[in-house]
Amino acid sequence: MRIASTQYHATMESALQRASGAVEELMQQMASGQRYMLPSDDPVTNVRLSRLTREEAGLDQYRSNITALQSRLQQNESILDSMVHDMQQARELMVWAADGSNTSADVNAMASSLLALRDSLFYTTNTRDHEGRFMFSGTAVTAATIAYNGAAAPGARYSFTGNNGVQNVVVGNGITQAANVDLGGMETLLNQLDEAAATLAVPGANVNNPAVRTIVVASLDGLDTALGSVAGKIAGLGGAQKILDTLDGNHANVSLSNKQALITLGQLDYGDAAVKLNAYTSALEATQKAYGKVSALSLFDVV
Amino acid sequence: MTIINNALTGSLAAKAALNTTSQNVANVMTPGYTRQGTLLASVFLNKGGINPGDGVAVPSLLRFSDGYKSQQMWQAASNLGQYSTAQPYLTQLEQVMGDDTTNINAGMDIFFSALNAASVEPTSSPLRQQVITAAGAMAQRFNNLRQLLATQRQSVSQQRIAVVDQINELTRDIAVLNQKISATGATGQIPSGLADERDRKIDQLAGFVGVQVIDQPDGARNVALRGGQPLVAGSVAASMGIQPNPDGSQTLTLAFAKESFKLISGNLGGQLGGLDEFESKVLMPLTQSIADMANGLATKVNTQLAAGYTMSGAAGGPLFDFDPTSTNAMLKTSAGLVGQDLAFSSDPTLAGNSDNLLALIDLKNQPVPVASLGSSLLGDAYTQLVGKLGTDGQQNDASLTTAQTVRDQAEESWKSTSGVNSDEEAINLVQYQQMYQANMKVIAVANELFDATLAMFR
Repeated sequence: MRIASTQYHATMESALQRASGAVEELMQQMASGQRYMLPSDDPVTNVRLSRLTREEAGLDQYRSNITALQSRLQQNESILDSMVHDMQQARELMVWAADGSNTSADVNAMASSLLALRDSLFYTTNTRDHEGRFMFSGTAVTAATIAYNGAAAPGARYSFTGNNGVQNVVVGNGITQAANVDLGGMETLLNQLDEAAATLAVPGANVNNPAVRTIVVASLDGLDTALGSVAGKIAGLGGAQKILDTLDGNHANVSLSNKQALITLGQLDYGDAAVKLNAYTSALEATQKAYGKVSALSLFDVV
Repeated sequence: MTIINNALTGSLAAKAALNTTSQNVANVMTPGYTRQGTLLASVFLNKGGINPGDGVAVPSLLRFSDGYKSQQMWQAASNLGQYSTAQPYLTQLEQVMGDDTTNINAGMDIFFSALNAASVEPTSSPLRQQVITAAGAMAQRFNNLRQLLATQRQSVSQQRIAVVDQINELTRDIAVLNQKISATGATGQIPSGLADERDRKIDQLAGFVGVQVIDQPDGARNVALRGGQPLVAGSVAASMGIQPNPDGSQTLTLAFAKESFKLISGNLGGQLGGLDEFESKVLMPLTQSIADMANGLATKVNTQLAAGYTMSGAAGGPLFDFDPTSTNAMLKTSAGLVGQDLAFSSDPTLAGNSDNLLALIDLKNQPVPVASLGSSLLGDAYTQLVGKLGTDGQQNDASLTTAQTVRDQAEESWKSTSGVNSDEEAINLVQYQQMYQANMKVIAVANELFDATLAMFR
């Protein structure tokens, strides 16, 4: 084929363009560490990468929810622990009170301790969070967990004004975990303690009196029931945290495999890139040398 | 005397050939220059007797051109123009939409993460406020993309106006050149320079819009669009026009002689066709898809919120305002909304209830109708759109590479016929110089013969 003189230059120019383009792309890849610079480099892989990134974002959020939830559960647990402590003290007091050898002065003194414990339990049950919302009212967070009505007779002054509603936290795709515990049932104990304290505070109170004894025994039973109930709740909270730990572990595993897939699919193989870069640069050098030689050849130099 | 005459014609012919060679050498780098050659023919006037001939003549100059190769080059120019025009737009879109840290996908991640985080403590004001902030940030990403699409459409329109202006200028030039060529063609040979000039203009024109070129017997070249509508007929040029429409689109018109008609877009080829195709097949559908996504998201979220109750027990109000007509504020959060107004509860009396919040979180997995995708999950629609854009970009890129290769090849092929090779010209130079010198020598010999004859009489 006949070759025009400018053809050498044109061929050289397009060869250099192509090689420079390829080298530039390689440099971009190497600078960013990513195999694909644009979705059009590989649309299908790009969709895969994007979906993996979405899943990763979801997992990140679930894991951060789990961390936040665990701290909330631990807070609940420590509050319930302090209540157990109060109830055990109250129980010791009532066991002592049930001893028939107590004088009425002893019993009167016990009543004031019991009142203090009753109030402590009442305030703890009505614990509020930083924004003033009741922590143990179920989902009725604006209402006090236990309401106190001083006008009513002892034994009926406390009433539960919360509910048993559950606040569910998303901790996985379609998995929720309750974040709150309610303290429904505490009103019964508080009423019993209230009644017992009132009875014991009466001057000359005698625990051997069957009426008094019935009340004392009833509050002992009530304490046992409440202790069982709160301990059950603490156990539930512990169990939930255990489950959350497992779930977090699962999320971590899935996240790890996602990250590995992200690296396999999207990260640049530097060795491969370096080899390619070498190949392109030597091809470029060779082309430039060939051009230098060929373009120096001209018949005009010899005629 | 025949010797001197013959030598004279020879030296004149050699001079003409040297002239041609010098022109070729001078234009070795001129783009679109068609090399010329000198046609030599021996002269034989039959005067009877023993006569070897009467020298040499230059009946005409040769123009080394191949019409078929020019046609190939113009077709390649149209394809190259078409794909190279769309490429920068596509690349820009891909860069913006594909960046997984700043795109809508990441914005939706942030929004749904904020909702998820709020489920840990649904009554917490900072967590609720964060939902509104994240919603605003996400809406801003929708708006940024919507704005980019609007800007691209604007530049497509402006580029189209510029292209049409250039097409009109080129068709006028070609018509004038046709006229000149026909006029000189009638008197003799077509001037090669004018033909080169016209072919260069046609080549430029082919880059702007796909053309068909038909040679006329008088040397003129008629140029028509791919659909057959005339651009240049002899010395008459058509005039292309643009009518802006109220919906932001543009209508192309073509006025030829006293007729004016609308050009139906599609298969125009060249830059005009590239703009057309990008606008109708990528830009407009994508704009619609993004608007559909924003609308679907806003509607779903607002509907779900309307089914719930705020912290104070009031019925839930909307979180998003969707305005399909706005290019810079298509999606925004409702003005004056505060965290407590988010209707996360499903019971007006229970502020701590989070059932409606859980329903909101689940919206990500619900289908919305999106143009050019059909029904797709809210959380996946954007990924699919980017995937589709990537496929479009890949296709255009591949077509562009092919078009570039075909054009390079066509140029090479054209040059192999019409381009100047300086080595060849160097040989011509030597040969014709020798021819000239030889003829001069013949004259000297004839002179000596003459002198010898005269010397006899001294």
